[in-house]
Amino acid sequence: MTDTSTSATGGIPAQNSGSGSGEERAKGGFLTKVPGEGSFWLSEWAFPVFVACLAAGIFTGTQLYYTYGTGVFSDVAVASMLKAGMENGSYGAAAAFGAGFLFARIIEGPMVGILDIGGSLQTGVGIGIPAMLLGAGFTAPLEHFWLAIPVGALLGGLIGIAILAIRRATVNSTGGTSTFGADVMMGAGNSAGRYLGPLVIISAATASLPVGIGSTIGAALFYKWQKPLTGGAIIGAMIAGLFFPIPGK
Amino acid sequence: MNETLTVLLESLVIGGLIGFGASAGVARMFHAPKVQGMGAFRTLGELNACQNDPVAHFSFGLGFLFNAWSSAVGTGALTSDVDHRIVPHWTASVAMIKNRKLAETLHNPRRMAITGTAVGMVLVTLLNTTAASIPHSLQEVAAKVLGPASEWLINPVMPIIFWMAAVDAGRRAGAWGTVLGGLGHLVMGNAVPGIVLGIVIGKGVDDLGWTKVTKSLAAVVLTLFAASTFLRGADVTLLQQLNVDIPHWLTHLHDVTGTKPE
Repeated sequence: MTDTSTSATGGIPAQNSGSGSGEERAKGGFLTKVPGEGSFWLSEWAFPVFVACLAAGIFTGTQLYYTYGTGVFSDVAVASMLKAGMENGSYGAAAAFGAGFLFARIIEGPMVGILDIGGSLQTGVGIGIPAMLLGAGFTAPLEHFWLAIPVGALLGGLIGIAILAIRRATVNSTGGTSTFGADVMMGAGNSAGRYLGPLVIISAATASLPVGIGSTIGAALFYKWQKPLTGGAIIGAMIAGLFFPIPGK
Repeated sequence: MNETLTVLLESLVIGGLIGFGASAGVARMFHAPKVQGMGAFRTLGELNACQNDPVAHFSFGLGFLFNAWSSAVGTGALTSDVDHRIVPHWTASVAMIKNRKLAETLHNPRRMAITGTAVGMVLVTLLNTTAASIPHSLQEVAAKVLGPASEWLINPVMPIIFWMAAVDAGRRAGAWGTVLGGLGHLVMGNAVPGIVLGIVIGKGVDDLGWTKVTKSLAAVVLTLFAASTFLRGADVTLLQQLNVDIPHWLTHLHDVTGTKPE
């Protein structure tokens, strides 16, 4: 009917995670060829490398925030804890909050097969560890760009290695045949995204009537065109909001 | 060096690093649990909800871009959506323009990492240098429409989805998920981490029995809950709400460690 390659109707996740995804091998060039299970990109030891890159970026983002007031990769509420420390010197709240999240995610990550970036790296490496460093008086990594990158990469590398070590001891241990319910959580994670479209429409209709109408029309059109309705709901709300701004309070 | 130029150059490096790492990690998520991935369950669900349609991925990312932009204007915080939503969705969108095969795009760590590096560089530089110049009405829509919608997704919609999954996964996973989920909301403010750890313990014991691995896992999780209770001051709040006098040494301990509840 349409040019989309999936046959699923709006809102239903067409793909699932799983081992089947590697089966369709491509004949294409460098970028399109699927790296096999044994290649660097899907190998165990590539993981700490990727975590190190991401953590280096996030830690350096905090450095940018510390020196220039923009660029930290956390939500406003979390970043404001670090800001409170920068203003009055008490970093306890940010350090405890960030470290708690980091610890929880390092335990959870290897069990479920997905390391949560938000809790582990953005809150832990981006807020918790900088707060601890600043609280202890080590300001250098947060003042100098070229020092922030290696410090962030080192932290990320260590987190990646810790996760692999826990994975070895649990999920991949000899005789251990449990995935610790990863399939259950994958299923729940997959279905969570379906709820966002309706939630956006409800939220838009609460914000203002024109924005709600725009969001509803956008979602309905996307559904008719067999595209995911979340995208339509967001675009419809934004177009309506551009012409009919949401009244203040 | 000029401040704007410094921010611009730093943003290019930072964006490249986060784009590379996050996109490779997201592609690896689709091979989990066999391969260790990096992202979030909601990121996985939202990527699947876009049904490998480049326009849907792009518009999804665009909505959160305005959210991140408006947050950056006021506070300098780019929001956690940058790594969880904008980078993965835009990288997927760019990767899928010419090729809709998931195995070669979204599920391919090499393709995603290389595309993601470019997306991250553009995105982070854009957010850090132009935040002040976006139309005010779009900032409003982003903050007032997407803000509440994503808050509702994280709480209470996702806890309920995970809770039902735990209950359906068997009596042991349901029991551990329920107890740790309830406690998780009490001490961490969100039930999902608790439910997930409950499923991990419950299914682990279902599959392996009470071995050394599962016992130490349960011990670590219980320690984690005890530590979070103290660090977030939930113990003091509980005693207050039970109308019990708080022992002096406990107040003092929280004062010394800087962990008083608000």
